Amino acid sequence: MHIRPIARGDLDGLQVLAQETGVGFTSLPDNRDFLASKIESAVSAFEERTPADDRLYFFVLEDDARGELVGCCAIEGQVGREVPFYNYRVGTLAHSSVQLDLHRTIDTLFLSSDHTGDAEVCSLYLRPEYRRDRNGALLSKARWLFMAQFRDRFPNKVLAEMRGVFDENGVSPFWECLGSHFFPMAFTEADRLTGLGQKSFIGELMPKFPIYTPFLSEAARACIGEVHEQTRPALEMLKKEGMRWEGYIDIFDGGPTVEAYLDDVRAIRTSRLCQVEVAGEADNTERPSWLVSTTEMVNFRAAWVGRGPDDHDVITLTEEEARRLDVGAGDSLRVLET
Amino acid sequence: MLVVRPATPADLPHLERLAGSAMPRLTNLPVHRDRLEERITRSQRAFSRDIDFPGDEHYTFVIEDRERHEVVGTATIRAQAGASEAYYTYRQETLIHASQQLNVRREVQTLSLSHEVSEATLLCALSLDSRYKGTTAESLLRRARLMFIAQYPERFSTILAVAFPGYLDGEGESPFWNSVGRHFFVRSFQEINHLAGVRSKSFIAEVMPQFPLYLPLLTPQARAAIGREHPDHERALEEMLAEGFVRSRHVDIFDAGPVVKGERDRLETFQRAAWHPVRVRPDAVLPDAEPAMIANQKLGDFRCVVARYALSPTGQLMLTPEHAAILGVEEGRAVLAAPLGLPDAEDAIDEGEL
Repeated sequence: MHIRPIARGDLDGLQVLAQETGVGFTSLPDNRDFLASKIESAVSAFEERTPADDRLYFFVLEDDARGELVGCCAIEGQVGREVPFYNYRVGTLAHSSVQLDLHRTIDTLFLSSDHTGDAEVCSLYLRPEYRRDRNGALLSKARWLFMAQFRDRFPNKVLAEMRGVFDENGVSPFWECLGSHFFPMAFTEADRLTGLGQKSFIGELMPKFPIYTPFLSEAARACIGEVHEQTRPALEMLKKEGMRWEGYIDIFDGGPTVEAYLDDVRAIRTSRLCQVEVAGEADNTERPSWLVSTTEMVNFRAAWVGRGPDDHDVITLTEEEARRLDVGAGDSLRVLET
Repeated sequence: MLVVRPATPADLPHLERLAGSAMPRLTNLPVHRDRLEERITRSQRAFSRDIDFPGDEHYTFVIEDRERHEVVGTATIRAQAGASEAYYTYRQETLIHASQQLNVRREVQTLSLSHEVSEATLLCALSLDSRYKGTTAESLLRRARLMFIAQYPERFSTILAVAFPGYLDGEGESPFWNSVGRHFFVRSFQEINHLAGVRSKSFIAEVMPQFPLYLPLLTPQARAAIGREHPDHERALEEMLAEGFVRSRHVDIFDAGPVVKGERDRLETFQRAAWHPVRVRPDAVLPDAEPAMIANQKLGDFRCVVARYALSPTGQLMLTPEHAAILGVEEGRAVLAAPLGLPDAEDAIDEGEL
């Protein structure tokens, strides 16, 4: 298994993934033209032909044994440059009067574009049958290695939007209570348009004034900053890297937007470069703990390896591992113990 | 025989009783002896001072039943609704949210805190003994204030406003308050209304949410209460609409009761009021005529009664000796008269926004 930039030949494979993800994974609609243009734009990003503030670095996870795409993930170089990036910030307003013996704080939602210009880690999908052997962690964390390696291409902050709470019927109580009053469409449609990058309707229809949360239903308030049950592991993984919820939420489902300064992200801080040695024998590790990536952008590869570097920062790979990463003895690798 | 006159310190117990019996309780008429006493003092000061333009004066009147020697109602004019502090209302507004991308256009209703009514002269704090409800006394008490304003225009704004008590449900609860103010104050409508009367309403308003409220987020009951008067005040509202007041976009910040506004010169009473010299004649010889409000032209000794609008062929107003005595006028003195009856009400929102 290894991660690499998406390539032009991946259209069929990507469409299979898009068909699997279905509703709720809006950045991969099952639309061949859209996917083809997505690949094109990613290729151009990796070749650094697009400006740094408009790059979508789209990666795929490939099963080397079968030559199939089994997952994907992406980094948005800077959000909000082409189309506005909206969040609600959950702010606190004090309503206080000594004479009335009153002191209350009211949670209030402020429409914000505070994250304009930040990088975003997004679009992570892994086929259900591959949700084992730390493949999910590989998809999630390879992005940190990429950003560490090409640090100067990225801004100071990074964010991730987490999926919010939905009830057993797939209904978002937050949307029902708030968004549905302003958007003449179902949640899935609003979400779909957003996924397609057609977001101008948000700014056009969204309430511009702050929303006092006491006006929302109890069910809707309970969604603020809460993630979908299935998103919890992904959130935990990001939190371990140092990403925090600073009070920003998705305007549609109320799910948290977590964020961090890039240089504070654990993986970025602790990854380092090592020299490659290649030796024949394979280690049989049950649970890999060393993640490595190559140092070139177009030929970027990331994978788990069986052992870490020695005291002299030399990392010994098996031939299979070296082949998978397309490196040879003497090359550099970025390594991360995790 | 009924007469409207300025309130005096001796009326205090009556005001207290009327404040307690007002239905619903009025912010401007708190059941609080000290506050009511202050109001009388303040009113006496206003009646006795030379004033060239409206300020923070309050003019408090009472209506007295001379047969019973009893004060049976009270009403006040605030020269400026928000003179020393701001007068807060919610203004109903419509925002258009349109999306070219989706080719949709949505109207979104909001309520925004406003100080726009602050300049207007406010007719307020009207409470009448329930036995007199629906009688001439009610109209006289309500509109004698217009007869006073007509005589002293420099003391008042050219725009008059009346805030009617808002809708309360069977339990005396305000659905609007429960959906809006309660979140911020954690107090019942009755409590906060009392506090507002005893302290000041604008001082509470300052703790109200300052950003506009989106109506779709309020409960259906609260939305239905916006601009809706208390059931006991339906007829009063009708009368003011007949007088020429129009519903405005403004509603009360606590209970969302309607605020009606009127341009002074367009109100029936101002348009139809006329000065007439007085002739005193015994009741038996007075011709039959429609009832009219008759007011003397004495500032501090203002009196207003209802009498027959009996004019002599030469335009003199014929009054009985009793009415002349109550008004304190002799033959030859001028009084201001305006018909008590009003044309049918026209219930319309003022699109022009006075």
